[in-house]
Amino acid sequence: MAQTLVCGKAEKVIHRLKSGPLTGGNACITCMERAEKINVAVWHGPRARTRTRVNAKAFAAILIGSACVSAALASWLPLQVSIVSVFLFAGPHNWFEARYFLMRLPARFGRSRNFFIVAFAGIGLLTLAYVSLPALYYANVWSGANWPNAIATWNTLMILWISALVLMRGKQKANRDWFWVLPIAFALCAGNWLAPELFSLAIVYLHPMVALWFLDRHLRRAKPEWLKTYRRCLALLPLLLVGILWQLSRTASLADDNGLFWRITQHAGADLLPNVSSHMLVSTHVFLELLHYGVWIVALPLIGASGAIWSLKSIPVASHSRGFPKLIEAILVCGLFVVVVLWFGFSANYTLTRDVYFAVAMAHVLAEAPFLLRMI
Amino acid sequence: MQRTLILTLAVCALLASAIYAFADIPRPKSTPVEGKTILYSGLTVTSDPKAYEARLQISQGTLKHLQDAAANSGDGGSMMQRVMHSSTRTIMAGTFMFLAISFAGIWFARSAERRNSKAIAAVFLVAMVLGLATVIVRANAGPPGYIRWQNLPQSLKDGKETTGGVQVELVPGDDNIKLIIPLRKTKGPGEE
Repeated sequence: MAQTLVCGKAEKVIHRLKSGPLTGGNACITCMERAEKINVAVWHGPRARTRTRVNAKAFAAILIGSACVSAALASWLPLQVSIVSVFLFAGPHNWFEARYFLMRLPARFGRSRNFFIVAFAGIGLLTLAYVSLPALYYANVWSGANWPNAIATWNTLMILWISALVLMRGKQKANRDWFWVLPIAFALCAGNWLAPELFSLAIVYLHPMVALWFLDRHLRRAKPEWLKTYRRCLALLPLLLVGILWQLSRTASLADDNGLFWRITQHAGADLLPNVSSHMLVSTHVFLELLHYGVWIVALPLIGASGAIWSLKSIPVASHSRGFPKLIEAILVCGLFVVVVLWFGFSANYTLTRDVYFAVAMAHVLAEAPFLLRMI
Repeated sequence: MQRTLILTLAVCALLASAIYAFADIPRPKSTPVEGKTILYSGLTVTSDPKAYEARLQISQGTLKHLQDAAANSGDGGSMMQRVMHSSTRTIMAGTFMFLAISFAGIWFARSAERRNSKAIAAVFLVAMVLGLATVIVRANAGPPGYIRWQNLPQSLKDGKETTGGVQVELVPGDDNIKLIIPLRKTKGPGEE
């Protein structure tokens, strides 16, 4: 319904522009701006619905089944499932995510040029800073005592960058004042400086849930009739989380007697929350990560979000007459190569590859912010 | 030969005087190291007229908690302690709190025109309820810990139990276990 309305609106505006002179220059400019705002390229036509691979009931059943199985596996064998899931899905889910973002990238930035400049500059610089933090630490550039301050500074920059993007996005939308983001951002910065490590841990736990938001926004546009079903399924998530927390809160902490297990428990916050069972922390984190992987690798492709994964037609930057098909093809092929390299790396030295992956993977965490904002 | 002997004796005398002088150096004053609280628990002090030795009884559960807390005590104290000892972070947090409140005020003033008076009244009402609740909760806070220990001397004389809170601290060194009771001097009748 939404697609038809938007496409119809675009056609009307174009028809008005073609059919005859408009009254006054301002009206013409307004029409041009309206036409420019409508990003026809990233919208699927009515064919999108027929392209869906499953129906709503099957989709809901898959969601609920996957969530329950993920919760059971994460609770039962948290460390083992964490190792296997990162090995299998870390690379591929990044590739699917990158492909999805390319699909959402308009062929011409137009009025969004500044937004994308800030977005890409932020992703690049923040990722570079994040990766260089441990490198500088190991090079003895600063002592470990300053580590919380370094983390707090990085978190502050990230919050301010996202706030800038929100404000820029707000300006593109008519009748929307998103100034409220500033007090919230500054309050988050204050909380971050009080407990930088806990703030970083919160990002670790919140990031997987962003995928669920992406799915929500995508369904709202592509399959609005499924949205209600999806949101009902989402109600199961807090129940499963409460179940995991209740079931595992009194369990003994996991034995982190080797380097790999220690890294996994630390990543889940065992060091920061010493009075909380590390079994519960790792299980919760693994459960959320499995959902994250499931959304990018299974759910979005299932509802036809990315079309055939080898096809470039659904990527405006590639399919547009003035696009860059070769470049996009090269990016996707290189991405596949990186996925294979990651698998080899995990096979050769799992611990080291995991460390490197989670440092570099910050790029995809950051990239989610601007693309999610573009969908709001 | 004689020269060597004299030289050797002189060196020995010098070494002996050095040892003597070194031994006479006053022991360096050790700066008192602040103990680090790792666990908060309860403590009951009681007397036993039949016992020959003082006894310290710790339940298995408390001992386990104590072991866990001691094992995890390498992170430099609680969050509040770390914040209190980091002026940079305190300043930054305060600055951002100031900015948050300032910008919230600007946003509120900007958007006041679009809001109806009921919404503003609702916000103020919620703020007032939260403020009142804070005051009530604060007013309802329990008495300070030392109050529970005030009757300890009398209770010991009477052979009664006294129970209060206790912070378990880790201090460097190998000294004996020390129990510090927060007793306040009470002024007798007629004392100024």
